[in-house]
Amino acid sequence: MCGIVGYTGNREAQEIILDCLKRLEYRGYDSAGLAMVSPGSLQLKKSMGEIAVLESNLGHMPGTTGIAHTRWATHGKPTTENAHPFLDCKGEYAVVHNGILTNYMGLKEELVRKGHKFTSETDSEVFAHLIEDAPGKDLKSKVLSVLKLVEGAYAIAVVEKGKNEIVAARNESPLVVGVGHDENFVASDVTALLKYTNEVIYLMDKEAVRITPDSIETFDLEGSTVKRESQRVSWNLEDAERSGYPHFMLKEIFEQPRAIHESLLGRLESREEDSFFKSKFPSIKIIGCGTSYNAGLVGKYILEELSRIPTTTQISSEYRYSPVTESKPLVVCITQSGETADTLAAAKEARRRGCKTLAITNVLGSAITREADHVIYTRAGPEIGVAATKTFVTQLVALYLLGLELGTMSNTLSSERRRELIAGMRSLPRIVQSVLNEASKIESLAENYKGAHSMFFIGRHINYPTSLEGALKTKEISYIHGEGYPAGELKHGPLALLSKDTPVIAICVRDHTYEKMLGNVREVSARDSPVLAIGSEGDQDLVKYAEEVFLVPRVDPLFSPIPIIVALQLLAYYLAIKKGCPIDKPRNIAKTVTVE
Amino acid sequence: MILLKAVILAAGEGKRLRPFTYSEPKVMIPVANRSIMDYVVRSLVSNQITDIVMVVGYRKERIMSYFGDGDDFGAKITYVNQDKQLGNGHALIQARDHLDGDFLVLPGDSLMDARSVADLLSIGAGHGALVIESEMPAKYGVAVLDRNRISGVVDKSGEGASNVVLTGAYKLPASFLGALERCVEGGDYNITHALNLSISQMKLEPIFGQGLWIDAVYPWDLLEVNHAALLNLTAQTAGKIEPDVLMHGEVSIGKGTTIRSGTTLYGPISIGSGCDIGPNVSIFPSTSIGDNVTIDPFTVVRNSLLMSDCSIGSHSLLSQSVLGYGVKVRSHLMASSADAYVNLEEEFYKVPNIGTLVGEDCAMGSGISIEPGTIVGPKSKIMSGSRVTRNVPTGAIHS
Repeated sequence: MCGIVGYTGNREAQEIILDCLKRLEYRGYDSAGLAMVSPGSLQLKKSMGEIAVLESNLGHMPGTTGIAHTRWATHGKPTTENAHPFLDCKGEYAVVHNGILTNYMGLKEELVRKGHKFTSETDSEVFAHLIEDAPGKDLKSKVLSVLKLVEGAYAIAVVEKGKNEIVAARNESPLVVGVGHDENFVASDVTALLKYTNEVIYLMDKEAVRITPDSIETFDLEGSTVKRESQRVSWNLEDAERSGYPHFMLKEIFEQPRAIHESLLGRLESREEDSFFKSKFPSIKIIGCGTSYNAGLVGKYILEELSRIPTTTQISSEYRYSPVTESKPLVVCITQSGETADTLAAAKEARRRGCKTLAITNVLGSAITREADHVIYTRAGPEIGVAATKTFVTQLVALYLLGLELGTMSNTLSSERRRELIAGMRSLPRIVQSVLNEASKIESLAENYKGAHSMFFIGRHINYPTSLEGALKTKEISYIHGEGYPAGELKHGPLALLSKDTPVIAICVRDHTYEKMLGNVREVSARDSPVLAIGSEGDQDLVKYAEEVFLVPRVDPLFSPIPIIVALQLLAYYLAIKKGCPIDKPRNIAKTVTVE
Repeated sequence: MILLKAVILAAGEGKRLRPFTYSEPKVMIPVANRSIMDYVVRSLVSNQITDIVMVVGYRKERIMSYFGDGDDFGAKITYVNQDKQLGNGHALIQARDHLDGDFLVLPGDSLMDARSVADLLSIGAGHGALVIESEMPAKYGVAVLDRNRISGVVDKSGEGASNVVLTGAYKLPASFLGALERCVEGGDYNITHALNLSISQMKLEPIFGQGLWIDAVYPWDLLEVNHAALLNLTAQTAGKIEPDVLMHGEVSIGKGTTIRSGTTLYGPISIGSGCDIGPNVSIFPSTSIGDNVTIDPFTVVRNSLLMSDCSIGSHSLLSQSVLGYGVKVRSHLMASSADAYVNLEEEFYKVPNIGTLVGEDCAMGSGISIEPGTIVGPKSKIMSGSRVTRNVPTGAIHS
């Protein structure tokens, strides 16, 4: 769960590599390092902490070919020794690795027996020593023979002393090749390369590539050439810049009206019959992790209401433990990056079980898009902030679109209801903008809760998962223990935890849950918990029940999670600001989790 | 050639344009599907001025989300903050750390073409103010001329002595910032005052612009600005156009938009992305329609500006009107136009051929008629069957 970058070209590589690496910092920032093919030697520098620390320690490393790495520790603590790249004993090869090798212990013992000296506790270092001993006349054949020995997930890039080439390979960890003019790149992710090129080649699992300044050669692990066409990415660099905003998270929160508009573009009027939806699905299973899982929980309400097909939602890493059922559900896999290891594994398992799979993802050409039978892209543009914001709301948009499609196919939607829903979806960009226009109000509300150690988020029906997502944002960004609950569950336990020090955020929009929610607000107020009620515009009664009230535009109950989550994102953001938390780089977590 | 930096002043709300500045600054008001300041930025870039400092304040997120770091415009945009919008001189001082040597300063809130910027640059090594001769100088600040130099400037509140109007675009030396700073420290935040003080040390020439320069002073001026922007439109059609759609003149249609059968479009018209228009809708010049707008059958739109996310129900008439973001009309709205007195903050202005001016997120029922020249406030609600004869305040419910 790290970021890797490699460059080979005719320009001095140091600055280019660091620039690309910084754009991968969202993937991890425990430690970082760079290896450069310099005249006469392979130079190596590593340091603890963010890439900026590495940069200040680097000095000048001459060379036009190099690889670098930013780390999120899984095997071995975040120390300088455990930072990548790793060298072999003679200092002839340098390796960066993202992923987890499952059989490294045995390999390492054997290498140690042969006299190899290890400098770190990581699984990744075995690559360097294996390559040192590997048979083969050139780097390509050496790397290929090593890849036959290792098991597990990897994206690796290797350089050799005195050679202007990089050999890279992937299995279950992401890796893209960037195509430039007289220069070529490899990286964990397209965003790293956007400043230099938007033409990329996506490698598949168990494929490798050899790049030189003027050639790209892709092949399988046997060394036979495979042809991979390059693709143009429509994202541009600007999407990966903060553009005046203090944090990516805030920039991305404010991009949500646009992101929703893009997600809907051309998808509401002209329905093209898709044979995928012709199949009758007896049930639906949605899988995802983290925020995508929360989107899936909302999705259950959306899909069941619109299509009347029974739907369940499951955490990706738990899916494999569920029993195989006789009827084959449609399996909907939600992953922003399309590379989330747990979700990919679940998608493969679903396929093995004979289920049709549909992916909801933000990244064109990502691994999940090759795994799934059908893909709905969220079109949110790159999301750099570690806390998912615009990708969550566009995942919901994708689920509304899916619900609309399934509902139309299964004739559970009247044409009038369909029209209403389409109008409702069209109003979403504007609704979100209205919430954003009130950001300063949320900023001042956050002042009341910044001292809290624990907060509760309660809601009912479709806004129960909204409360879970609000709590997740609060945990990951503001480091406040946030707990989401179905409001009716409070009295079955959690009430015991409530006191004047535990603020409660209650979602009390005007729908069929309203009266019951007011009861729950009274219930928590009786325990002296300060209540912030999120209500519907025009509601003048809420102030009688809650200390603080924030109103969002009134929408069809089915769409209410969207304005509410935007308010809760802003709340988490401003809480984090007031507490001085490092918003775009929260401790211990990274954005795209490509390890299981 | 030394490339100049340009400062665009974009921090103010532009209060006189209310209700259209309710949630975004005047510089961001869209005409022909681009914000007013978009034209300014592109005009600079086409004159090779790409290093741009934007002074932002009121609702700055709208600006930053639109322009980003300038990459899409071929520019490098740096943002500086003016936390309190005290005046344009105070705004310019905020950009001071980014300026060395001569620089351009331009208002972000008036439409300016590349020719105007070229005129300003034509002064070469000298310094000057872009001016135009106006029939209505009272709306603007004016310059006092002494042969070929400006000997004084008079701001809006003063009595105009000439018809030479200041556009607010200048080419100035870095030394002016010193004088400006002393003014600002003394509590005078206006650029024109600092210019008057330093005009004896600095030769400021009047540059009579030949290009387009048009400023919306009052909300109904937006129709004129919109018209001017549409005149330079080049037709580009994306999206889906059904059979039997008639198009005349320059019509621009964004991606993901559907134009349904029987619809007639008389250009110049600019339609954004993701719209659904028709069947059987008629749109006449000079009309701009934003993104994600729906217009239902048998509706007629004439010389109007409809911002994004509006939805207009069937059998409606919109003439000479401006609709802010997200205005929703159920059906049968009569918003016709005529010469009218418009009540702006309790002052009455005689405006020729004006329809209605509707603030953002107004929700209207069916069968409503609105008197020409009426201003309907943002977030207001107009009940079905109403006849609106007077301005409707923000958030009000009219029945």
